[in-house]
Amino acid sequence: MNINYLNSNIMKTSKLFIATLFCLTLITSCSDDDDNPIPVLEEELITNVSLTFVNDADANDVVVLANVAPDGQEGASNNIINGSFTSGATYSLTLSLLNAEDADDVEDVLNDDIIPEADEHFFVYAVNGINLTVTRDSDDIEGPNGSNLGVNTTWVAGAASTGNVQIRLVHEPESVDDSDEFGSSTGGSEDVNITFQGVEIQ
Amino acid sequence: MKHPLLVVLLCLYNLAHSQNCTHTFIGEVVDFHDGTPMSGATIYVETLNAYTTAGINGKFTIKNLCNGVLTLTISHIGCETQQIQINVDGDTYYKINMEHHLEELDEVKIKNNSSKTTKTAQETVIESEVLKRYSSLSLGDALKEVSGVSSINTGNTIVKPMINGLHSSRILILNNNVRLQDQEWGIEHAPNIDINSADKISVIKGSGALAFGGDAVGGVVILNPSKIIRKDTVYGKTVFGGQTNGRGYNISSTLNKNYKSGWFAQVQGSYKKNGDFRAPNYNLTNTGLDSKGFAARFGKNKFQSGFEVFYSFIANEIGILAASHIGSVFDLERAINTRQPIITKSFSYNINAPKQEVTHHLAKASYYKRFQNFGKITLQYDYQNNKRLEFDIRIGDRRAIPAVDLTLQTHSIFADVNLDANLDRKFNFGIIGRFQDNFANPDTGVRRLIPDYNKYDFGAYATTEWRMNSNLILDAGLRYDFNRIDAKKFYRKSRWEERGYDADFSDIIIDETPTQFLTNPVFNYHNISASVGAKVNLNDNSYLIGNYALASRPPNASELFSDGLHHSAARFELGDIRFDKEISNRVSASYNLNASKFNLVAELFYNTIKDFIYLRPLDFITTVRGPFPIWEYQQTNANLFGIDINSTYKLSKHWQWRNRTAFIKGYDLKDDIPLIDIPAFNTFNQITYNNTSWYNFSASLKSEWVFEQNEFPDFNFEVTNQLNDSRSIVDISTPPPAYHLLHFYSEATFTFNKKTSLNVALGVNNLLNTSYRNYLNQLRFFSDDLGRNITLQLQFNY
Repeated sequence: MNINYLNSNIMKTSKLFIATLFCLTLITSCSDDDDNPIPVLEEELITNVSLTFVNDADANDVVVLANVAPDGQEGASNNIINGSFTSGATYSLTLSLLNAEDADDVEDVLNDDIIPEADEHFFVYAVNGINLTVTRDSDDIEGPNGSNLGVNTTWVAGAASTGNVQIRLVHEPESVDDSDEFGSSTGGSEDVNITFQGVEIQ
Repeated sequence: MKHPLLVVLLCLYNLAHSQNCTHTFIGEVVDFHDGTPMSGATIYVETLNAYTTAGINGKFTIKNLCNGVLTLTISHIGCETQQIQINVDGDTYYKINMEHHLEELDEVKIKNNSSKTTKTAQETVIESEVLKRYSSLSLGDALKEVSGVSSINTGNTIVKPMINGLHSSRILILNNNVRLQDQEWGIEHAPNIDINSADKISVIKGSGALAFGGDAVGGVVILNPSKIIRKDTVYGKTVFGGQTNGRGYNISSTLNKNYKSGWFAQVQGSYKKNGDFRAPNYNLTNTGLDSKGFAARFGKNKFQSGFEVFYSFIANEIGILAASHIGSVFDLERAINTRQPIITKSFSYNINAPKQEVTHHLAKASYYKRFQNFGKITLQYDYQNNKRLEFDIRIGDRRAIPAVDLTLQTHSIFADVNLDANLDRKFNFGIIGRFQDNFANPDTGVRRLIPDYNKYDFGAYATTEWRMNSNLILDAGLRYDFNRIDAKKFYRKSRWEERGYDADFSDIIIDETPTQFLTNPVFNYHNISASVGAKVNLNDNSYLIGNYALASRPPNASELFSDGLHHSAARFELGDIRFDKEISNRVSASYNLNASKFNLVAELFYNTIKDFIYLRPLDFITTVRGPFPIWEYQQTNANLFGIDINSTYKLSKHWQWRNRTAFIKGYDLKDDIPLIDIPAFNTFNQITYNNTSWYNFSASLKSEWVFEQNEFPDFNFEVTNQLNDSRSIVDISTPPPAYHLLHFYSEATFTFNKKTSLNVALGVNNLLNTSYRNYLNQLRFFSDDLGRNITLQLQFNY
């Protein structure tokens, strides 16, 4: 038995081992190319929400409540209110929810995502200080548990007043109730919660 | 002694041989490490069935030998007994190197004094007898056996260890000597460890163990697989467990094959599953877990050299409480104020979104060699691949696409030299190189939470341990680390300007889209860490330890680059690329008493951290989902101090009492407010009955008393529902009230033969089915914690 641990064989083995390790590291480092990552455009973004109320008797009497959030839920949003309701008139509401982050490829979130999954979504409306009433139309899209989703609605403007109008979109609610037409829900998470302040009926 | 033996030897020889046998053999027994002669070594001459002893110069002589093979067995106190065969051909001289001081080389475990990694750090070892109780649980649960260690949880299955109030990137976890690289920055990212693969876990508070890293501001957790036994044997164990809460079951099996030659192989596999857990009053819907673990290793473990190849794999699918999915602060406010989960369904094993799917591969190859009169050299390469998928509640065909899809790959090489020729002056130094590549898959359709980056680390360290006399050990260490992070990150233009980066960092923009900038931040950090310590034996059964440690931790990817909505918390989280490293100065002192009936460990610490990085709310933003608080990572100066006490008292032959208490305070010094998520005062009292003569039966009742945290930062905020101007406070700060829980545990071991035994353990956690919420559980806003849980576990050893 020759006990000489510093012999050349062992040194060679050790050097080989270290060399192998370095090579392995280098190979993996070098294979990592310098290509830039591609940008991600958020797919579930809602950048533009608009509620367009058109007087059933006068197509020129239009009220638009619009919310613009260029970064969707990731950034600040602004409300724009155009026009005012006419006392006593009846309006049909047209909803629009868009993802316009990519101006060349605007996505229609309402028609492409929400309506195909109507049984998992629910629109809830609320007003305060303004004499507006709502009816979910008979041709409204069916929402969870046979409810009306709240996409096709008719609004009646009462006595002149000024107040707030709120729209909420609830995703995967536990229960929904549209018996008072404005609607209410429990559970789920809010994908949209916008309040337009200072809406007028003249 | 020597001469009568030789006479016997000679007589035996004369009887057995009649040929021309006149040769003399001279042997010299020396210490392998420093070459000193080993007088008094016993030599058993197998061929002659005779004994002799080495003289004062380590030499011994056997006369009148014939040519042929001589078999000797040499033993000495504190050495590994060695058997050698020598070919006698004429007069022969042979030098025998004894492998001395095995305890001091940490090669053998001494009973009642578990082999610690450090001498002057606050270290606690959890042995396999205790670890086996946690077979169905996680690393974070097991570590709570150590006083002063708590956990920060997201539900019950995502459990992160917290040492003296610090967690995540401030704690290093080493699995079989490989530093775990698994995106540890997030609170909801649990360490990817299968607790069943560990035989022993060391918890080191603070950064005293510099060989493992200089950034352990909180501490180090070291998991080691079982030691290699150098004998021809096959052994293993299989654990079956079941629990009522969550209708969980687990199985884990380990098989070892060892050879006297030093070759060894081990395979281990485990599987655990549970469905929805239950709080005392309701089901915790979507809290299931499916976990698979596999580990294998083989190699050769000789005293003088050896190697090991190790591979481990873990795959976890973890459900996140359904009721914790919220879209807006109004959802959060409703959840907090109803005090009930919004969604409770009947029991199911199904795991739906929100959920996590995490896989972790770890492979390593290591080699060591001991050199005479020198020490030990270790070389290691390891590779880790961590893939994290987080599934959110999404719409349509995106439902099956994760919202987070990150792959983190890490390569490390490591060389360590341990000079232990002089056991009173040990030196240890080494270098480490690491390359890390993070890839954030853009197919998620969600902006990257963490950007693509490459990270390069280089570290060098030197530590030394001096035994001044039998009552005083001093140690010291110094380490330098260089870290470079090279990221490619997209910023929304609005965020870039809002953060003021346009003024300071316009040169790092490398590309732009209509709404985003692509930037290439490259940051270098130079970190120095150091430690000095002393261990003083006061008398035979008590000692004092004092330690000072300096640690520097560079900001992690999350602290630098976070930029987006954290869904389950209903808040924005923003990092800051201006951050510099945080620097911790930690002073600690421990008193350790080991009397016949009473054991006490009292550990004091004071940790002051400059530029401590933490997340706190600073602003508000009104979005399409209503108002949202903005939480920003901030750097402040922080102080943490406290005391951890662990004591046992033997009341009688069969009865033992144990107490474990931890008290800690933490403050943000700049704003003069308490730090968030600091554990409240807690005390555990346990009374155990043990009867070794009755199948080693033991039963214990444990009381867990956690006080209410009275010192917390008030980060509550008011939200206004613009519809009717109604204001409500969202109370995200007030800690839940104090709670007291009782736990029962009993076990017995039935031995069938020398190698085969069965251990049966029955436990009841939360015996009284108490409803409570834990301040350190991030889902405490949404539901109570777990109710009663009865567990049964069978462990076969064979």
